[in-house]
Amino acid sequence: MVTPTAFREGEVEAGGVRVRYLEAGQGMPLVHLQAAGTPGPTRAHELLGRRFRVVIVAVPDGPSSVDTLWHALTALSLDAVGLAADSSSAAAALRLALQAPERVRALVLEAPAALRPADRDADLARRLPGVATPTLILLGTRDDAVLAATGRSYKALIPGSHLVFVYEAGHAIGADRPEAFAEVVADFVERRDAFVISRAQTVIHP
Amino acid sequence: MKVSFFETVRYVPPRALPAEWPVPSGAYDPAAGAAAYQGMIERLEYVEALGFDWVSVSEHHYSPRILSPSPIVSAAFIAARLKKLTIALLGPIVPHSNPVRVAEELAMLDTMAQGRLVVGLLRGTANEAMTYDLNPQEARERTDEGMELILKAWTEPQPFGWQGRHFQYRTVSIWPRPLQQPHPPTYALGTSRESCEFAARHRLGCGVSYGPFEVMARATRYYREQCARHGWQPTAEQILYRANMLVAETDDEAHAVLRAQANQAPFTMRPAVRDAMMTLDARNIAGEARAPVVTGALPTTFVGSPDTVVEQVRRCRDVVGAGVLDLSLHTPGSADLAPLMRALELFGTKVLPRIREI
Repeated sequence: MVTPTAFREGEVEAGGVRVRYLEAGQGMPLVHLQAAGTPGPTRAHELLGRRFRVVIVAVPDGPSSVDTLWHALTALSLDAVGLAADSSSAAAALRLALQAPERVRALVLEAPAALRPADRDADLARRLPGVATPTLILLGTRDDAVLAATGRSYKALIPGSHLVFVYEAGHAIGADRPEAFAEVVADFVERRDAFVISRAQTVIHP
Repeated sequence: MKVSFFETVRYVPPRALPAEWPVPSGAYDPAAGAAAYQGMIERLEYVEALGFDWVSVSEHHYSPRILSPSPIVSAAFIAARLKKLTIALLGPIVPHSNPVRVAEELAMLDTMAQGRLVVGLLRGTANEAMTYDLNPQEARERTDEGMELILKAWTEPQPFGWQGRHFQYRTVSIWPRPLQQPHPPTYALGTSRESCEFAARHRLGCGVSYGPFEVMARATRYYREQCARHGWQPTAEQILYRANMLVAETDDEAHAVLRAQANQAPFTMRPAVRDAMMTLDARNIAGEARAPVVTGALPTTFVGSPDTVVEQVRRCRDVVGAGVLDLSLHTPGSADLAPLMRALELFGTKVLPRIREI
């Protein structure tokens, strides 16, 4: 029995914006950028909190969200982080990886919305071939909001990126399949591109 | 109506074999095995000449009854030797398999057979859970996930990973892809609610087997309702019915032969195993619970003279909605091949030409 991870609530001043955050755990920092209003922490965060210093940050969407994020990380003394970002907040995470690659050691995009045909961010799309951060794109097989075609276009545009389908997850991957989500995020943030090499042990009776 | 011959690879044992499943491997006769596969090809040359559209093969283990533990190997062998028949691989037992490997092998097969492949994906009969130690309680979930992964491997153009419940891969990117694009005609085989819903969601065909028309119609009706819910309508050819047929010169003769057949389960299990299997192996028809077939023979739903059988096929088309019949014309596992050849000839000359337009 593992005791539930306790999340502390806090607030920082980030370039003139008050940013709320939740934090738990120790070790390598893993920042989870969530669209504003997304409830947290979830079971997925608890699982990740056993292996990482998890900081859940909600940054308002908009053209300045990347600056807010940069200031928030600075205020929290978070230098080289694993950065996971869901849906509409993926755009800010990608911009941070483009502007300050030294601050993002691994990037996880969960059902990223920015390249959807309906609201395609053409400027961001143009810059994606310049992303040098190891990047994992997660897509739920039951996601009706971000379709496989969109996930595929990130994979095609970001050099060396990885596309992983999370079976029977909808748009909220971490909420739908918390164990599956936490396992792949943790493995990727720890081992980055080398996560493609299995460490699963199959010995049944040594 | 398209017509498929269910090829069950007739192994003729030189000595009587034990009745239980699994049948001891030591009782196998290599020369009889070689003759069985050679005989299969000769029979299929005749089947092709009679004008059947498809030949189907299936996966069964640890028994001479249907000597085809790897139907993909059977299908490849047939594809190389027969030039016209479409090969229906009905199908790999998905919960046993590495789904990515299945996707790769089927893509190879479709390409080598120049697009003559049809695929049915299924969960497998109750006894098959005991080959490769599959937990019957996990079989349904593993089947659904495996089927979805096979479809994804066939169609996803970018290398991808799969974070499943029962399967996990970091890198999948198959070569070759199927010749038929986006993939060969594919059926989810089974009467269960889950299987029908899966087929409807992924625009696959639905295959039902052996049960009486009215019972199978419950599954195909449910399938069509689900397709409508997903905004599409299946063609007649997307509903397949596998059945036993006993055709003879007269109705009386056909019924006499049927009465003489032993009402024996295809795979005999010890009573304690059978009872445990009944509890662990939940099955259903369009959501309504049904027991797995572990006692008694599979029913024969087409019986009679050519005239009678033609009328039964017409009823099947109306009631089940099937546009493809996959037929076993003689009890699999029987060592006596003469009745099979007689039935083939009778069916091929007196029935097949008359059911094309149904």
